[in-house]
Amino acid sequence: MMLVALLAIPLLGATLSWRAADRLATALHAATATLTVIGALAVTITVNRGEPLVAFDGFLRADALSAWMIALIGLVAALAASEAPRYVARVRAGRFYALFHLFVFTMLLAVSTDDVGLMWVAVEGTTLASVFLVNFERTRASLEAAYKYLLICSIGIAIAFLGTVLVYFAGIQQFGDEVHALRWTTLVRLAPGLSPRVIELAFVFLVVGYGTKAGLAPMHTWLPDAHSEAPAPVSALMSGVLLSVGVYAILRFKPAVDAAAGAGFARGILLALGLLSVGVAAAFLWTSPNYKRMLAYSSVEHIGLVCLGLGFGGTLGTSGALLHIANHALAKSIGFLLTGRIRAAYGSAEIAAVGGLLHGMPRTGAAFLAAMLALVGLPPFGLFVSEVMIFGAGFARGFPIVAGVALVLLVIAFAGLLRGVHAIVFGPSTGAPTAETSAWRPVLPMAAAFALLLLTGLTWPPGLGATLDRIVAIVVP
Amino acid sequence: MTTASNLLTFLGLVVTLLIVWRQSWPARLRLFAAQSLLLAALGATVGVLAQRRGLLLVAVVVIVIKGVVIPRVLARIGSGAPVRPIAPGRSSGIRLLVAGALVVVAYVIMLPVTSAVELPTEGAIPLAFAMALIGLGLCVTGRDALGHILGFLVFENGIFGLAILATYGLPGIVEAGVFLDVLVIVLIMEAVVVQVRHEHDSIDVENLRELRG
Repeated sequence: MMLVALLAIPLLGATLSWRAADRLATALHAATATLTVIGALAVTITVNRGEPLVAFDGFLRADALSAWMIALIGLVAALAASEAPRYVARVRAGRFYALFHLFVFTMLLAVSTDDVGLMWVAVEGTTLASVFLVNFERTRASLEAAYKYLLICSIGIAIAFLGTVLVYFAGIQQFGDEVHALRWTTLVRLAPGLSPRVIELAFVFLVVGYGTKAGLAPMHTWLPDAHSEAPAPVSALMSGVLLSVGVYAILRFKPAVDAAAGAGFARGILLALGLLSVGVAAAFLWTSPNYKRMLAYSSVEHIGLVCLGLGFGGTLGTSGALLHIANHALAKSIGFLLTGRIRAAYGSAEIAAVGGLLHGMPRTGAAFLAAMLALVGLPPFGLFVSEVMIFGAGFARGFPIVAGVALVLLVIAFAGLLRGVHAIVFGPSTGAPTAETSAWRPVLPMAAAFALLLLTGLTWPPGLGATLDRIVAIVVP
Repeated sequence: MTTASNLLTFLGLVVTLLIVWRQSWPARLRLFAAQSLLLAALGATVGVLAQRRGLLLVAVVVIVIKGVVIPRVLARIGSGAPVRPIAPGRSSGIRLLVAGALVVVAYVIMLPVTSAVELPTEGAIPLAFAMALIGLGLCVTGRDALGHILGFLVFENGIFGLAILATYGLPGIVEAGVFLDVLVIVLIMEAVVVQVRHEHDSIDVENLRELRG
């Protein structure tokens, strides 16, 4: 019931906002975002206290892994929603809010269903809901970004469909379609009896397909365009949680593949793609002239790290990867929301056009610097802890070469990102920004997100270990 | 069943190769509609012979959406397109040769699937996958938005054909999602193409080359 309510809130909000305008639209938007985050946290707490939530005869199902994603989507959506009114003050507010909440709805649906077919439909829905958001400013560049995004992700998701079909095929060949109805719970139970060759082929298609949505190299080419051209709240949602939803889809299939084909197969693919993603991001972080693109490539890097963690596996690697997903979601959405403010003040997203940010916009500049230091993985922020966990798992579980190469690439990426940040924050002043607001209320949501990042960075909150262990028990058989 | 499914899928592949070969947009559009009708026939045949009533409904929906609605939308998109001059020396021969190679590749990739089971329809599975691969090739090498959309749709048809042959129909919610998805993608593409044409006076994607680095 609670799960149905959680999904109904953004869907209802989206429907109501479509024709709304002005203050009514903003009020609806605020109410929907608030209720969504409350619902998300309620579901998360309930699931972690007891059994998975189930609705519609098991069609909708939220276990600990779903709950982790639901909490992240709720939090990042609320954070992004708090900034959204800045971007739509003038035009078509109702449309923007409607698509925004529809986008949130599709992501929530993707992580809270037991049916891998419906999960596929929902992930495809995320593309369709967000493509107009990417092109919301209707410039030439945003149009190009939206076109690339729609085309590449549609192809990717069609490949994921092929993978899903093959998984279903393997299931009904072995057990008949009365038993097997594309349910994840059934799939994991039956997995040891499935044909390993077919499941391997299916997993390749699934990784390529959902990996496109996750922004893994070499399927990442749509990502820098879409993330940099979308309005900042949309970039925050896309980079913060949409990419992780792609990883989630891959992660759902991993235990079944491990059981059917042995643990080495999925691991090899995840490690190779993870390493390649970190490498590609490291190269482009050095050359990108645009700070929103720079943040987009940093997302490719972090998704690569998450894949490495999942590939190393074990309790340490998997929980490190999950924690990294959460930390990255918080830090990257703060980062993108701040770039939105910077872009509005300076009128350009080029690094060269923004200099001396700390001088021109002291508060925004300081927050931006802090978010970037978090993203490069420095303490006291949570990303440091999760990166240590991931690399610790790599060395401890016998992959010193992969972990070593990744570490070198990480240092290159670190230097590349810091070089850009240095030019922005401390470089010679170039433009004259419009004055930043000194009100305290707009700062609150971001301050709360920073507090969460510090919380995972400085302490190990009570209950976190137990929560992560529950999820690890689901994905590592 | 083996004969019928092999024949229909083979005809689908022939139509795909014709799409690769033809240069004129209206002809390619007609070929796409024909391919969709073949797919519907395949669905209906498998539905009758394997006694899956659901597939008959799927066949009807394929005829309506892919045989009628989508070709109409595509015709509307293409009606304002400048006629693309066929550059001298750009022969279809090479592309047909590549398409032929893709058929072989499809057989190799689908080996695990065809060797795993004894299905009456298994012989046609690589043919359907070859359709998908050629569609993907058309999509990637397409020079304008129309080429991209058509390639994507052929790709999707191939995968859908494979799904019918391998599983005799997926659960209803997934089928519905697939149709809705294709329809919405085509409609969004139309909106995008309208805007591209408005901005650039042509739908050549060479104009979309600003975002780099």
